[in-house]
Amino acid sequence: MKHTQLGEFEELVLLVVGNLDDDAYSISIKNTLKEKTKRSPSIGALHSALNRLEKKGFISSHEGGATNERGGRRKRFYEITSYGRKALDQSFELRSSLYHTLPKWSYES
Amino acid sequence: MKADDQFNPPRWPLWLLAKICPHVHLEILRGDLLELYIERRSAFSKWKADLYYILESLDLSWRSLAFDGKTQNSNNAAMLKNYFKITYRNFLRQKVYSFINLTGLAMGIACAILIFIYINDELSYDKFHSKSHRTYRVLEKFESEGVGEHSASLPFPTGPALKLDFGRQVEHAVRFFNFQSPSLALANKAADKGFNEPNIFFADSTFFDVFDFEMISGDKATALDEPNTILITRSMAKKYFENEDPMGQILEFQGNQNLVVKGVLEDTPTNAHFQFDFIVSFSSLKQSFGGGYPGSWYWNPCWTYIVLEENTQPSELLAMFPEFVLKYFPDFVKEDITLELQPLEDIHLTSKLDYEITANSDMSNIYIFGMVAVFVLLIAAINFINLSTARANKRAKEVGVRKSLGSMKSQLVNQFIFESILFSLLSLIIAVLIVILVLPYFNSLTEKSVSPSILLQPIFAFGLLGLSLAIGLLSGFYPAFVLSSFKTVSVLKNNHLKTNGLNFRRILVTAQFTISIMLIVGAFIVLKQLDFLQNKDAGFDEENVVMIPVIRSPMGDHYESFKTLALQNSSIKSITAVEEIVGSKFQVGNYQFEGMDESKPYPRFNVRHDFISTMNIPLADGRAYDQAIQTDDSLALIVNESLVKNLGWEVDEAVGKRFSFRNQMKGQIVGVVKDYNFASKHHPIAPLVITLNTHPRAFNLFIKYVAVKIDGTQLENALGSLEEAWTAVLPARPFDFFFLDDRLNDSYKSEQKLSSITLVFSILAIIVACLGLFGLATFNVEQRTKEIGVRKVLGIETKGILVLLSREFMLLIGLAFLIAIPLSYYSLTQWLNGFAFRTSIELWPFLVAGVLTFAISMITIIFHAFKASHINPVDTLKYE
Repeated sequence: MKHTQLGEFEELVLLVVGNLDDDAYSISIKNTLKEKTKRSPSIGALHSALNRLEKKGFISSHEGGATNERGGRRKRFYEITSYGRKALDQSFELRSSLYHTLPKWSYES
Repeated sequence: MKADDQFNPPRWPLWLLAKICPHVHLEILRGDLLELYIERRSAFSKWKADLYYILESLDLSWRSLAFDGKTQNSNNAAMLKNYFKITYRNFLRQKVYSFINLTGLAMGIACAILIFIYINDELSYDKFHSKSHRTYRVLEKFESEGVGEHSASLPFPTGPALKLDFGRQVEHAVRFFNFQSPSLALANKAADKGFNEPNIFFADSTFFDVFDFEMISGDKATALDEPNTILITRSMAKKYFENEDPMGQILEFQGNQNLVVKGVLEDTPTNAHFQFDFIVSFSSLKQSFGGGYPGSWYWNPCWTYIVLEENTQPSELLAMFPEFVLKYFPDFVKEDITLELQPLEDIHLTSKLDYEITANSDMSNIYIFGMVAVFVLLIAAINFINLSTARANKRAKEVGVRKSLGSMKSQLVNQFIFESILFSLLSLIIAVLIVILVLPYFNSLTEKSVSPSILLQPIFAFGLLGLSLAIGLLSGFYPAFVLSSFKTVSVLKNNHLKTNGLNFRRILVTAQFTISIMLIVGAFIVLKQLDFLQNKDAGFDEENVVMIPVIRSPMGDHYESFKTLALQNSSIKSITAVEEIVGSKFQVGNYQFEGMDESKPYPRFNVRHDFISTMNIPLADGRAYDQAIQTDDSLALIVNESLVKNLGWEVDEAVGKRFSFRNQMKGQIVGVVKDYNFASKHHPIAPLVITLNTHPRAFNLFIKYVAVKIDGTQLENALGSLEEAWTAVLPARPFDFFFLDDRLNDSYKSEQKLSSITLVFSILAIIVACLGLFGLATFNVEQRTKEIGVRKVLGIETKGILVLLSREFMLLIGLAFLIAIPLSYYSLTQWLNGFAFRTSIELWPFLVAGVLTFAISMITIIFHAFKASHINPVDTLKYE
């Protein structure tokens, strides 16, 4: 696990990128995060996370065409790589295996 | 590109981003920012969206600088990063300097912010009404040869007559009336709650056409249309009805009139020049005046405000006023009356008339505070400049290395300015935190209720940012040039530099202490003047006098029995009744004295027997009113010395002179009192007529207070027996009183604020200045350790070291003292000239300020002297 080093926020971003499929770019990721987690990351924080994820090879990116809505400026779209998918799988496995061995909670006491 | 045209975010953040951020990412980030901006524009106001935009771009710039710069880089970013690093290292290496720089500057900025908050609030008075810029208060100047009154209020019929005669110019007119009484009784009988209310006004139904006070429930259009209706504020609703719905409830006015609550208003904003708790419909007054409004054009109790039509100049109306006066005012006063217009927005800061609703503030205070703010900032900025240049030596090597590696002078200048801007921004953050912390205390000091959210307002937010940038730039400018001008070779060869900028530094220190001393002297003189106003013998005895408001109460019929009852107790010394608060207000009456062709307006004071003995006013000649002489009520008059002089008589020939009142020969002057301050000490003492009025009906208008002189040592006993006597004659009315001296001190509120604020800020100024001195002294000691080491070897004593270290500073402070004396003497004389009664400028405030400054700076330096005297010469000398 050591080599993946997926932070909590990074993991969330990675999951959202995976979920958004074709439409994963900064603002849509930001909005989804806000919707799901009720916290609103700054655009700067988000870009940092995306850069880190890309550097680690969990996501890849390409630039889209120019659109009118952003004053003619292009978007950068992200997609999850197979390596990123693997990291998510590993993280999920680790968590669920640990979760299942939690002692049962006794509600009476 | 359409979006760009519609929504214009500020441009500079992008420019900054472009400087720092690698080009590959720039376009994407710009797109993101713009998209977010457009999204926010639809949800928020422009300035909020702008703020987010700016913060986000700064955030992005910062991040690309700090994190992403390592791999893909622009040269600018690398340089900036290096600047940050160097600043950070220097900050840590010289903790004392950094701390002094930061705290000094932060304190300076915090002071300035607080003062600007105060000024901003003062300037905002009455501007929240949508028609405020064309609303005027009508004033009446009723004077003959400078004697009479300059009144903020007018006769009853004026408002409607103005509207009627000048319909084309006057859009609305509204009158306020409060029986000229300090408080009026209201009661919620159902809940058995009664209070004497100070802020209750009768107002025309046009009230809301002129003023925009917020209404919580009720209908502004009709709320004041009918008689016997009342509007109350939110907090009064709570006071009288707690959690019940106040609408439609009954409040009993003065025990004899039922008023229906027709609306609840928001509490009066603190920045309105009059504060009300209740507004009663004007037509409710008819019941008190026998079915109609008083038609007199002589009695002037109504504050009258008019709204001019758009595009109507006040001068247009002013030109027609003389004719208006001739048309309506009674013949015997026509010549003495001038009507004036006073802009609503000017009232709070400039108006000091007779019969103000409440005492106003003063424009000169605003200038003074503004100057204090600039001074404190200046002192803090000087600290910054001094310390930076002083420790220039320490950074000489860095400069040398940079230069030899090819750094251009402009780059070095940029670097140092960048550092100082960084410092000032950091201080700004600390300053804002300080302001948020101390704002509650500041509010209670200044009696305001400003919330910290004011700092988010664009003017403040950007103003502050701009201010600290400016301070950073200005205070970084000089050090930057000093530092960058070092010669590479000499710096690297030899670390003994000529002390750069020493003379400039000396000038700045002198300037700092000149300002500090001036502020201290100023604070002393302001305090002295305040003390003078409050405590100078006013010519009557205001201590231990209890004032009981009695206007429009049945007291008129019970006065004698009340007096007899109360006087049975030995703690009650003497009782009288008066028209207005002695020493604060007066009315005006027309009198004609022997030798005059026609009557003239004179300040007038209605009293009952024992007035002169109760107030302890010395008689210059003649006698006081005598209970045994029945005719005193109409045929006798007491006047003051000024009146006698005004008529050109000698004091001893005045008694026996005849006078007429309302064109009837009445009687003669029976007594002359020595001059006393019957109005506040802002005004010189004018002629005065004291007239006896024993008619029970006088309590409806001419007698407003019972004044009781009590034995100060038996306070509770006296108040208890007064209340007992009161309940015995007027069981249904709440007993209410105040002490005369307390109320008189309220007249000097604006001076009180001035003195407390200048005092606080001059103390802060001297602290900031001493912080700087401390820093300089530290530097001085460091620089001279070797010298001190040698001197110690040669046997110098601690005393000698002290002299060595402090001599220069003491000379500078002495010089500052010499400069400060004439400057502060001149400006304080100017300020004092605005007062009719003023304290003298004596020598001691200057001496105290000088000694104080010397002492504080000595203490600052002594610390270093002792530290230096414990230096082991071996340590400093082997350093080589």
